[in-house]
Amino acid sequence: MTEIEHVHTNAWRASVERALADGERFGGAWATGRGENPTWRALLVSGEGSRVLSCDAAAGAIDSIVDLVEAVGWDEREAHDLYGLTFSGHSPLRALAAHPDDPAQWMTPVSGDGVHQVAVGPIHAGVIESGHFRLHVIGERILAMDPRLFYKHRGLERAAEGRPACDALVYAGRACAACSVTNTVAYAQAVEGARGLQPDRQLRVARTVLLELERLYNHLHDIGAICAGVGYAPGTMAFAALKDRAQQINLRSFGHRFLFDTVRVGRGAAQLEAAGVDAALRDLRELRLDSSAAWRELEFASSLQVRLGGIGILAADDARRLGAVGPAARAAGIREDVRATSPRLAYDGFTPASIRDPAGDVGSRMRLRAIELESTYDMLEELLAKPITSGNTIPAGSGTALGIGRVESPRGATVCAVELDGAEVSRLHLRTGSYANWPALAHATAENLLPDFPLINKSFELCYACVDR
Amino acid sequence: MYVLLRQLARIRRHAHLTRGGPRSLAIRHVDAGSCNGCEHELGAVTNPFHDIQRHGLDIVASPRHADILLITGPITTRMSGPLRTAYQAMPEPRLVAALGDCALGCNVLGDPTELVGSVEDVLPVDIRIPGCPPTPDSIAEHILAALSRLG
Repeated sequence: MTEIEHVHTNAWRASVERALADGERFGGAWATGRGENPTWRALLVSGEGSRVLSCDAAAGAIDSIVDLVEAVGWDEREAHDLYGLTFSGHSPLRALAAHPDDPAQWMTPVSGDGVHQVAVGPIHAGVIESGHFRLHVIGERILAMDPRLFYKHRGLERAAEGRPACDALVYAGRACAACSVTNTVAYAQAVEGARGLQPDRQLRVARTVLLELERLYNHLHDIGAICAGVGYAPGTMAFAALKDRAQQINLRSFGHRFLFDTVRVGRGAAQLEAAGVDAALRDLRELRLDSSAAWRELEFASSLQVRLGGIGILAADDARRLGAVGPAARAAGIREDVRATSPRLAYDGFTPASIRDPAGDVGSRMRLRAIELESTYDMLEELLAKPITSGNTIPAGSGTALGIGRVESPRGATVCAVELDGAEVSRLHLRTGSYANWPALAHATAENLLPDFPLINKSFELCYACVDR
Repeated sequence: MYVLLRQLARIRRHAHLTRGGPRSLAIRHVDAGSCNGCEHELGAVTNPFHDIQRHGLDIVASPRHADILLITGPITTRMSGPLRTAYQAMPEPRLVAALGDCALGCNVLGDPTELVGSVEDVLPVDIRIPGCPPTPDSIAEHILAALSRLG
């Protein structure tokens, strides 16, 4: 159950300031209520708990909190573009979801002797999602990078409005294939929270298995992608093959290479009997041996290793300031992981991963994923000790009109907010780990060399689809 | 490096991949608003399990030297312009392939005001590859079947 505190618009800034002073953390913000009665909401997180602060947005500009919480920058820009909200004190309020023709309306002004722009995208050279990057450079050195996303904006959140809460799950799933389990579990948690339902042990285990299988193929993919960013073909191909084997396990165990349609609202949908569990464990053990051996080889591949250190640095202070999450934040030394505070999943006793000398560079992000792979294999080994039954939810309190789901995706903390009007969804908002990390990627790109940009980009490996929605 | 190459060689031995015919066609991919699933699987067709290059098919960086335009996703309003530009940049003769259920206009798509329609509504489609997302094997099979049909 999520508590909503409605404050007067004039008290918005002071309320957020007080919450932050009390140790609560910003978890995302979204506008709601189309047409009349627009409302602006922010999620405040403390440990396992969270609450929502809300204020009326009909009376004109709301005081911006971007100077208190820099991470709200994109949320405020998005609310302006998609909901027409205005924020005083956030100046200039650059376009994010809107695509104005005038470059001054969305780009950082960078000028000086020898400064020029390099435009990349929206169509890229490889098999990559569509999005535009404007790099401001002097010679080979990047001064600043403006990502211009939302080329893939499909209006999924709006399409979910007015649908029955159980059916609208597909819109959260459609947002992104590589994070589909995370996004749908977050959605299911949000609706179950709003209805006062708690998952039983079987459902917690089943969802945790699915989430870790999703992390497994993503982390293998991301390590291979960094090899590709360097042009180290044996590593790229070996990890592409390892990722494919992980997806083959998904297919054999749960019927789909990306684990689509394995999550439902209020009940489980994935099960695996004894023979299936044994086969999955056998395949996972073989995969683990090969992926560990492949990783050791990468550690001694000097032509790869010399490219990884000291570039794309995201320092701990900047990661905290910009609200970075997931492997990107942990590689900078911030030991935070939603899995450590997930009572609705089976992560009992989980501690976030850390690496020695977290430098926040490309190499740190790669090493962190390799360490997380080990804990993922360990967890799967433990959770698959028994057959997986789909599980169910049990009533555990009264319902509310708003629910929040928070789940750690392979890219970091993902928040799903669902507002209900009776049995129907009146607002769905998805703030994924990728969304949180794009400003951090832009920051980490500055001061690096232009040819290193693809490698830095790959080391974050953020989705465009679940940002654009 | 030795361990990596040995792992790859073992996969190649077990994959029992057949040799492809003598042919050379270049594919250019455009993501027109997909969920990234089709991109992952299109990436997988070049991995050691599937190796689409053995059929003479390759994914290239520019539409300027591509024979097939492979499109994923429902076409968003913001990608319809870049998509048409990519098509116009291709030399003739050229083929258009719609990859995945979204590109074919039959999936959970989104808000109609943000979409211009399926690939069919925007460009003449020659190859249709269904699936959500289509598996790497299915991608290769559909392209090869269409090519033998088209001669």
